[in-house]
Amino acid sequence: MARSHTGTGAASRGKIGGLLMASPPIIVAAVFVGFPILVAIAYSLGHVGGLNRTIATIARGQHTVAAWDQMSLGAYRDVFTDQRFTHDLGVTIIVTLIATLAVTALAWVIAVYLRTTPEGAWFRSGVAKLISGLAVVPMFIPVVIASWAMLTFYAADGFIRSLCADLGFQGPTWGYTMVCVAIGLVWTNLPFATLMITSGVQSVPDPLIEAARDAGAGLLTIVRTVIAPLTIVPTVIALTFTAIGTLGAFTMPYFTGPNAPSMLGVDMVSYFRSYNRPQQSVVMAVVVFAVAAVFGAFYVWANFRSAKDSGRV
Amino acid sequence: MPVSALVAKIARQVLTVIFIVALLTFIVGPLLWLAIRAFSTSWTYPRLLPDGWTLQWFGRVFDDPQLFSSIRLSIEFAITTLIVSSVICLPAAYAFSRFDFPGRRVFLIGLFATNAFPKTGLYVALAALFYAFNLMSTFGGVVVVHLLGTIVFMTWIPAAAFASVPRSFEEAARDAGGGRLRVFFTITLPLAMPGILVALIMSFLASFDEAQGTYLVGAPEFYTMPTEMYSLVLNYPRQVAAVFSILLSIPSVVLLMLVRKHVMGGQLAEGFQIR
Repeated sequence: MARSHTGTGAASRGKIGGLLMASPPIIVAAVFVGFPILVAIAYSLGHVGGLNRTIATIARGQHTVAAWDQMSLGAYRDVFTDQRFTHDLGVTIIVTLIATLAVTALAWVIAVYLRTTPEGAWFRSGVAKLISGLAVVPMFIPVVIASWAMLTFYAADGFIRSLCADLGFQGPTWGYTMVCVAIGLVWTNLPFATLMITSGVQSVPDPLIEAARDAGAGLLTIVRTVIAPLTIVPTVIALTFTAIGTLGAFTMPYFTGPNAPSMLGVDMVSYFRSYNRPQQSVVMAVVVFAVAAVFGAFYVWANFRSAKDSGRV
Repeated sequence: MPVSALVAKIARQVLTVIFIVALLTFIVGPLLWLAIRAFSTSWTYPRLLPDGWTLQWFGRVFDDPQLFSSIRLSIEFAITTLIVSSVICLPAAYAFSRFDFPGRRVFLIGLFATNAFPKTGLYVALAALFYAFNLMSTFGGVVVVHLLGTIVFMTWIPAAAFASVPRSFEEAARDAGGGRLRVFFTITLPLAMPGILVALIMSFLASFDEAQGTYLVGAPEFYTMPTEMYSLVLNYPRQVAAVFSILLSIPSVVLLMLVRKHVMGGQLAEGFQIR
């Protein structure tokens, strides 16, 4: 993308100036993301001196070490022997997987529908316009509002139950259950995934699809052999973003979920604010980071691969 | 057209209609169900519409000083965040697109990594440190939390926008005698504007809608509109929460409508590919 300027003098000036101009957000990210995470990891291992002193003086149930070269896994033992945590960790991972797969599948259906709509078919192009408009609606709505709306819609006196009652049968109550949390997370994550995947699918060249169609391939074959291989990167980006967003979700499960089990986002905040056990809260954060890192590595890999394919690296 | 093909076509259209109705219910249903409540006197299960209609709940929100001050606070945070984020990120975005400095790609991915940490975990780690910096329950602390939510938007999307301005345009203008700054402000910036606008609006909304970090770091001193919702739904009639929801959604809907074309047209998707 960036090419060096003509002449070595200008090039080196551009280099230093570029680095200086680029540094403010890097410094902000280092100070307020990288550094706190390192300090938090130290705290989770029992280091309560230095920058952790203030929080350590007001916390309960801490495990501490005396010297910088020691570490204590006590807080980790606390957390992992707590059945509630292991249960919640499992629930969080399952909800994350279900929501991520559902979002990606739905986004794919929408993207393929939009891509294969022939010009001039009034019914299909009308539907296509409607669907692509609908799929981005959640982006326009703050998560807090969405969560509250989900709860009232699926509650015991919500729309679904009311409709079922009017039709003469007993409907399900999903409010305050993990079902509602999963539905809500699909709802909030749909726009980004749809935009990513639609944009990827749209950029598959027409001649490739037409050639496959001329050769007699059905829709599923075209998707599997032509569209999917060319849309791996946007799909992986959509998958990772959705998974990471879901792992760290607080508002949706807080509003719409049951008291137990709950997702780790909710546990972290209650350990930190309500139970006054920040060290255990930080341990959970570290565990969530570790799970997220697996997804993140996937993303970086996919992006590098695409950069390599197009000769950008 | 043979009968079987006709039947297949009709079946396909019926299936499509079912899919649309399901999608419509899934996406718009909850919002409508909530919005209608704002205008209701009361609502008896299992009726599909309220018992009566009223506008009194709007007056209730505007007369409540606490709710009203949260609206003002939200706007203050969003504008402050936007200014700070622009100053910090936009020059960097230009640098990422135009200069080839050592570590460019590593830094770009590093910035992206701020989004790769699950939000709640990150805020918990940050809050622990904020105690030491005396940033807990301060205006500055909340701005930092909001700022972190905008960094990726404000560097990646404008960087992609700057990169898409052809260098030949700038070179031509410079050959015609334009100075560096003049070329930037008359050629590069206007052409990159749609992308920058998308980034600005996404950032404004990221700040305006941020709830969990503001709650963790700002409460009990600072209650913005989204964090006010946490207690609102417990302590007020449900209609008041519905009115508040409508008010909180207005800025998002209006602002996103303005840039809808660019967001849908791929500026957002384009901005998230590593270059």
